[in-house]
Amino acid sequence: MKNRADLIIYWGGNPAECHPRHFTKYTIMQKGRFIPNGRKGRTMVLVDIRETPSAKAADVFLQVRPGKDFEVLTALRAVVKGQRVDAAAVADTGLSLDQLTDLANRMKACRFGVLFFGMGLSMTRGKHMNSAAALTLAAELNAFTKFVAMPMRGHGNVTGADVIMRYTTAFPFGVNLSRGYPRFNPGEFSTIDLLVRGDNDATLVLGADPGATMPQPAIRHLSQTPTIVLDPKVTHTSRLAKVHITTAATGITAPGTVYRMDEIPLPLKPPLVGPYPTDEDVMRRIREAAERKAHIAA
Amino acid sequence: MAARHFLLIPGRTSKQGQQINIGKDEDAYLKMTTTLTMHVDDLKEMGLAAGQSVRVRSESGEAVFAVQAGNIPRDMLFVPYGPPTCLLMPTETDGTGMPTSKGWDVEVEAITS
Repeated sequence: MKNRADLIIYWGGNPAECHPRHFTKYTIMQKGRFIPNGRKGRTMVLVDIRETPSAKAADVFLQVRPGKDFEVLTALRAVVKGQRVDAAAVADTGLSLDQLTDLANRMKACRFGVLFFGMGLSMTRGKHMNSAAALTLAAELNAFTKFVAMPMRGHGNVTGADVIMRYTTAFPFGVNLSRGYPRFNPGEFSTIDLLVRGDNDATLVLGADPGATMPQPAIRHLSQTPTIVLDPKVTHTSRLAKVHITTAATGITAPGTVYRMDEIPLPLKPPLVGPYPTDEDVMRRIREAAERKAHIAA
Repeated sequence: MAARHFLLIPGRTSKQGQQINIGKDEDAYLKMTTTLTMHVDDLKEMGLAAGQSVRVRSESGEAVFAVQAGNIPRDMLFVPYGPPTCLLMPTETDGTGMPTSKGWDVEVEAITS
């Protein structure tokens, strides 16, 4: 992207606030090998339901009516393929057919396009259908030029969790290992669904603060069942947990690996020495203790 | 003043992201996660003054916020994610593993007393 992307589209994301280094380190501001003029050599399009601070950085801002992203993406796919599209139906999305035609022309004419999509697309009404429409659009554009799509992830290193889960179980999340082999079923085995239904009777929380981010019934279940938290700090979750083990902060007092959103692993060297064990140490010791106990019981 | 329907868009802000790492118990975090941004004309229409408290109800629960005017389309609200938005967040994930995290239909009413 840095070296080649001449069209950068952010859809349902606000990188100026949520990924503040994205513009400057990876996309619009960088001078790349095949983009020697940097910002002047790239076009940035922002699609969102509200004018966020990212709009100031955009060459084109398209304000979609809430809940109409799927319709816009589908109409755009038709325009890209040269099919007839009803202007009145497009107007219902908050955009005009001229705006969609202009965007489609830019997408087809670019040398290398990137579609970054954020939670405004993937976690609003339509969810996975919106994401699928965005990915299909990007795939279909490869009939005309080089085009890729990439999600703008929410929390730090959520990509890392997905990558590790994928190469150890073949699935990114929502994995059940209770039968001794991995089974994948979002909606059934995913964390929020388990907690809200009360399916699990204990929870181990590693590097997250669900007590400050999840729906209230999930938080209530965490507080009513044994919850163990590994975290360098006191958090909303550690307060409701039965056990809080203070661990070293990765990248500050512990080594580790963080994954960039494009799944590049970056090793971290701790600049400071701290008194607390790493998450890995604690997990290993818990596992060894459990194995000893199982051995004695046998 | 009767309650009015809005579309609530919870989201992240740069300041909130910084404050998460400073501490979620700080007054600054509490203030930013309990401040709703509303279009100035909606604010006037509801007879609200900046800083006034409102009760927000969703299908999942209710929470109290202070209001401020800001750059947002009419009939829409913005608030940074935090413990108050957990009270309003739906639980249904539609088989995706994640609840709908944006675009909630909510009812807003002024707290008079």
